[in-house]
Amino acid sequence: MSKIQRIADAVEMGTAKQVAVLVMKALNEGCDPTEILNRGMVDAMGVVGEKYRSNEIFVPEMLAAARAMKKGVEILRPYLATGKSASAGKMILGTVAGDLHDIGKNLVGMMIESVGFEVIDLGIDVPIEKFIKAVEANPDAILVGCSALLTTTKRSLRETVVALNSQPFRSRIKIMVGGAPITQAFADEIGADGYSENAAEAAELAKRLAGLV
Amino acid sequence: MRKRTEFDIEISVGHVCAFLDVKRESPIYQEVLEELTEMLPTAYEKIKPVALLAFGDLEGYKIEADGRLVKEALYGILSIGREIGEWSTRFFAEGDYLKGMLADAIADDYLFQMDVALQKHVVEMCREKGRGIAGRAEAPQDIPMSIQKKAYDATEARKEGIEIRESYMYDPVKTICQVYLLDDNIKKYHPEHDCGKCNNLACKQRKLSTVWMVVETGGRKRSIQARKSDSLLKTLQENDIFLPAVCAGKGNCGKCRVRFLEGALEPSKENEKYFTEEELDQGWRLACKAYPDQECRILLEDGEEGFLVLADERTEETKGQNLKGEYGIAVDIGTTTIAMQLVELSGGTVADVYTTINRQRSYGADVISRIEAANSGKGEKLQRIILSDLKKGILTLTKNGSVKVSRMVISANTTMVHLLMGYSCEALGISPFTAVNLETIHISGGELFETEWKEIQEIEVTLCPGISTYVGGDIIAGLFSLEFGKREKVSILIDLGTNGEMAIGNRERILVASTAAGPAFEGGNIICGTGSIPGAVCGLTIEGEKVYLETIGGVKPVGICGTGVVETVYELLKEEVLDETGRMAQPWFKEGFLLSQEGEIRFYQKDVREIQLAKSAVCAGVETLLLKYGVSYEEIEHIYIAGGFGCQMDIHKAVGIGLFPAECEEKIEAVGNTSLRGAVRYLLNPQGKEETERLVKIAEEVRLSDCREFQELYMEHMCFGDDSTLN
Repeated sequence: MSKIQRIADAVEMGTAKQVAVLVMKALNEGCDPTEILNRGMVDAMGVVGEKYRSNEIFVPEMLAAARAMKKGVEILRPYLATGKSASAGKMILGTVAGDLHDIGKNLVGMMIESVGFEVIDLGIDVPIEKFIKAVEANPDAILVGCSALLTTTKRSLRETVVALNSQPFRSRIKIMVGGAPITQAFADEIGADGYSENAAEAAELAKRLAGLV
Repeated sequence: MRKRTEFDIEISVGHVCAFLDVKRESPIYQEVLEELTEMLPTAYEKIKPVALLAFGDLEGYKIEADGRLVKEALYGILSIGREIGEWSTRFFAEGDYLKGMLADAIADDYLFQMDVALQKHVVEMCREKGRGIAGRAEAPQDIPMSIQKKAYDATEARKEGIEIRESYMYDPVKTICQVYLLDDNIKKYHPEHDCGKCNNLACKQRKLSTVWMVVETGGRKRSIQARKSDSLLKTLQENDIFLPAVCAGKGNCGKCRVRFLEGALEPSKENEKYFTEEELDQGWRLACKAYPDQECRILLEDGEEGFLVLADERTEETKGQNLKGEYGIAVDIGTTTIAMQLVELSGGTVADVYTTINRQRSYGADVISRIEAANSGKGEKLQRIILSDLKKGILTLTKNGSVKVSRMVISANTTMVHLLMGYSCEALGISPFTAVNLETIHISGGELFETEWKEIQEIEVTLCPGISTYVGGDIIAGLFSLEFGKREKVSILIDLGTNGEMAIGNRERILVASTAAGPAFEGGNIICGTGSIPGAVCGLTIEGEKVYLETIGGVKPVGICGTGVVETVYELLKEEVLDETGRMAQPWFKEGFLLSQEGEIRFYQKDVREIQLAKSAVCAGVETLLLKYGVSYEEIEHIYIAGGFGCQMDIHKAVGIGLFPAECEEKIEAVGNTSLRGAVRYLLNPQGKEETERLVKIAEEVRLSDCREFQELYMEHMCFGDDSTLN
């Protein structure tokens, strides 16, 4: 079995310490760092997401796997050429103004990061201007993710997406939305580019919107 | 206004695990428990509970209870402070997602327990004021979210540092609002959450009372009472109605299909995967994910009547004749199926055959789930099921006792023996996996069955001895039937049943192992999988877009059985729908490969993974045994494939997907149900006891899970090999 495959297995199993050791070993033995990242970790998280979506595993196993990957990436980072750690692209993420829910957005960030994106997390209760400024400040951002968890903050989500839609940078970004009261129909209505029901699907959606699959 | 800050609450590890779906069988279960235990002391420090209660009006809201407009409310605001939420956020930011999620679940558990603890004070306050509580209103489903502002003002929550947003959301996030609806009826106090009205059907804490339902099957009707908090699958099991449930009720095998004729529930998400929209409209649901909360009428299919269980051939000429002389019954109790043969003891002819499904399947497809069921109080139930299945078999074979049967030999795996004998399964399930009894068992029919039938009471019953917890009497019987105890050259026996046992050896020494390959080769854990029933796809060829199917009985396809699964994977590899790693090409990766429009039978990516795991376990198991035995493939005389699956399998295709090593394709032979054949041989052979016990003595178990070589080979065989064998 190849070293890369071993790393992938350890990521899938969620054994963080083992991932760290295996990444170090692979580096010492001259494996290509980008290869370790993409084949050993990003692909493994793809498998994990797939297993979650098919009910084979549950949230905790997914969390453990993402945590294991994070450990590996920490070791790997100095070896990666600058800017190369986010091979898939950059995403701006936040919960909309008036909404303080954190967990769902965090899970989405975690999964999207684990499939190779760099995620800039603006946090919770994010005003419209802050989303706009963040996109302007990151000319390489290709995705914006907005979350709303309350029936009363759906409006805030609508306003955020509508505001983003009128920006000159709109053509270079794709907007994805989610949260308990949000549906595909609502996403279409407010002019978002995509909607997903859970974190694992959000990662797939991100890849699709970024044109990676 | 009243304020409470003292709460004597113990965070429940069980609740936290349940919130997060941390399952006992998860590989990270222990790790999560340890991390959770480690986190608890800090969690208590970070939680700063405060509960505020105040009376107020409901002006501007139209809310009814018991048909009357409610005008007054007691408002409650419960908060556990900011720190715990920040703690969770910090874990996420640091990349420790698991701890972040655990911190969040800890917070929720604390809040829910606070809510319960507060109820007695709520009742007390209302009693003092001379008011009853008709119920509670929850935003946003019962009352608009703006009620949270009213509650905020009434309880003066601002003074506690709690803030409210325009969206009516409180800050800190871990703050909840309760609206108790007041009533003049002072005999009624219902401050609790009403699960029956709540929309959160997936809630892990859902508690509900009982409901009546009518169950129809095969033209008969039965009324049964169910707890609303129980799944339909569990209710049916408790009422001795056993649906197949390969995944033991986790909602991911799609086998426990029922049809609601009346009172159908909103289909939960899991259902969408297994039923078309039309079927959902017709009332089809998964029993394991249905929680009936109103009266309903349910129709059960008896579609598995025709399950083909391999019991080998029956001697035709004796059929229907008056059976004179002395008979014995040979029994194979498999995890999935039961096969019995009536054998004439002096001549050895097989007079009749009886086969049935092991109804214990309702508690899960594999032995692990049966052990778990037995250990959680279902042991007696499982024993009752198998005893009644056997009794029915005996009475059918003996035409209600008119054929004289003096002896019965049972061959079964160790778990099946434990369940049959009513032994404790505690030690079977945990390391070091010890069995209560592995010896040959002699018992009278009277003792075993507790029956009125004198004919059954007088049968001398023998159970074949076993080797270990995971390699039992069925494998000994198999080795005995193939005369391993007399062989000079080394051969291999592989049982492709659920447990994937295997043995290698000759008359000197035998090594055995169990791979826990899973039920994939029996059609289990495959989304459109099924047992060997009429209509099961058992063979196929794919040429481009065209699929040529062969089904059992040549009837309309209903699912894919084990042989069909192997052939499908072979064909998909050949057509390059699957790559070497087992990944399906687009567009099949997402929607599965359509095998048959009729019956909407598809083969999915998940199914491929299932087969990869199973086949690599088998192949790695064989290679590990070869290594440990110190022989090479060239030195092997025969490879026997046993099990219901084994008989009709296309060996070439099985080798093609890497289930068996290509080096010895010509040595492989499918031999059918060797466990049953061993039991027959035992009945007829006066040396049966001696020979089987000798086999146990020379056999030694290799624990594959402890074996580094196995782990490596297992990973190595996970992919599909080069395509040279695919032609």
